[in-house]
Amino acid sequence: MRLTILGAGPGGYVAAIRAARSGLKVTVVEKDEPGGTCLNRGCIPTKSIIASIELLKKIRLSHNFGIDVPAEVKPDLNKIIARKNKIVQTQVNGIINLFKFHGIEIKKGKGYLLSPRSILVTDNGSKQEVIESDVIIIATGSRPYQIPSIPFDNKLIISSDDALNITDIPKNIVILGAGVIGCEFAFIFKLLGSDVTLVELLPRPLSTEDIDITNILERELKKLGIKLFASTKVEKVITENSSIKVYLSNGKELITDKILVTAGRSFNTENIGIENAGIIKGNRGEILVNNRFQTNTSNIYAVGDVIGKMMLAHVAAREGITAVENIIGNNTTIDYNSIPSAIFTLPEIASVGLREFQANEQGIKINTGHFQFRMLARSHTIGEIDGLVKVISDANTDKLLGVHIIGPHASDIIHEAVLAIRKGLKTKDISETIHAHPTFSEAILEASDDVYGKAIHIIKK
Amino acid sequence: MTPDDLKYHKEHTWVKVSGRKVTIGITDYAQDALGDIVYIDLPEIDTDVEANTEIGEIESTKATSSLISPVSGKVIEVNEELSDTPEIINEDPYGKAWIAVIEINDESELDDLMDASEYTKYIEEEIK
Repeated sequence: MRLTILGAGPGGYVAAIRAARSGLKVTVVEKDEPGGTCLNRGCIPTKSIIASIELLKKIRLSHNFGIDVPAEVKPDLNKIIARKNKIVQTQVNGIINLFKFHGIEIKKGKGYLLSPRSILVTDNGSKQEVIESDVIIIATGSRPYQIPSIPFDNKLIISSDDALNITDIPKNIVILGAGVIGCEFAFIFKLLGSDVTLVELLPRPLSTEDIDITNILERELKKLGIKLFASTKVEKVITENSSIKVYLSNGKELITDKILVTAGRSFNTENIGIENAGIIKGNRGEILVNNRFQTNTSNIYAVGDVIGKMMLAHVAAREGITAVENIIGNNTTIDYNSIPSAIFTLPEIASVGLREFQANEQGIKINTGHFQFRMLARSHTIGEIDGLVKVISDANTDKLLGVHIIGPHASDIIHEAVLAIRKGLKTKDISETIHAHPTFSEAILEASDDVYGKAIHIIKK
Repeated sequence: MTPDDLKYHKEHTWVKVSGRKVTIGITDYAQDALGDIVYIDLPEIDTDVEANTEIGEIESTKATSSLISPVSGKVIEVNEELSDTPEIINEDPYGKAWIAVIEINDESELDDLMDASEYTKYIEEEIK
């Protein structure tokens, strides 16, 4: 069977490897580098830069650790970006090697569906070729959403793509949108030395996260001096020479060197010829699929951001694998209730499952347990005591429904909760599991214990 | 260590009255219970605050605690020094570590507060 995949991001490249291992003849069409947004313009470049600024932050606190650093430490932006580029290139090469090893053919260029079985590939030199396939997976991803009244000029008004390759640290920057991308960049720019203002339409940052988590995030923003205007709209933006005036709905006017717009993502469903294959889109522009990732055209599947479910790299990858499983005849689906998310603010945020506000909306009676990292010896040893673990369980059955973490290594320790939720375990199961001391994971144990008021390191009034 | 010239609120804040402008802070008992204080989220100038509600938050190395206003009124001054050196709350809770000045609406509210001997008894009860 000949499979062609449009897009080599986390959805496409993972699907390609799984399909090749299953004996399919696989071709991947990609106009940029393999790895997609995640590797080239998202997860990996931001985490590389965050590693630099975390180190900077730590060196500035070195006196607290008994280390004398004689001179003032400063970030060297060009070297930070060069380091990031090198990390990205290494990972890109890794995917290219995986493709070679698995006999996957990669066509560099833009793919365009001519019919349900043929794809026209146009390379950068406008050389064209038509590929015939039995099955197609669309994994074309997404791109930064452009607010029509505030179009990107890639200099003063920039997207997250541009922000990853800036050459100078702006004196000040206004970030529109306090979602995941906006919040991560707020910490990056602030620690690089910019004066940062976040403007968010909704009443709080990261509005899909639990309120106990975002309350702590808001305080951490405040501690660092990152200004946040919540429930605030941008009325008007006026560019004058090299500075920008931003008029806000709260009556304030900001003058800034740069605006970073992180107001969501747009689906890459235009100019790929899906209409020639009769594929139906949803009202947000996403490609509609069934729970086996099949579009209404039976030999064409779609995975990742482009289907508009959870726009996360690890979800795209699993959707890619699941689509291939269905293509080769194994009827499989994905459980979306136990998918973790990780946000690399300082401190990190990780969550899985139900938020308290969702439980209230759905009328589910819950118990909660909380544990603050400042009660944990391991946190004191590294000097990172801010943060919280919150556990949510079903009040009747004790089944774990959600775990929310803001604090050190949140993104690493969440997975015990992911497995527990996926397997339908109870808080009692976590409480009865011995956790190694001294570790950050003990905070999950104690938060589970707290559901029944049994946490050892909590003083109850 | 409970100064006689101050009034006290049950959430362990003190009030120093001088006309309609009152200075507030947290008590020695509160700072001792919290331990080493590492951060205080101060109320903002010009905000209206209500007695018995949260107007800020204090973080120590072992706990976080709400700062509850003992009076109602408008915040007219805050002790910015506490942003950089919150540890002075541990060192001098009744002096250098005053937290805010509030212009009060209703002086009769002050009658609800405790005097030093009442507060001393109150914390003795709380320890039991």
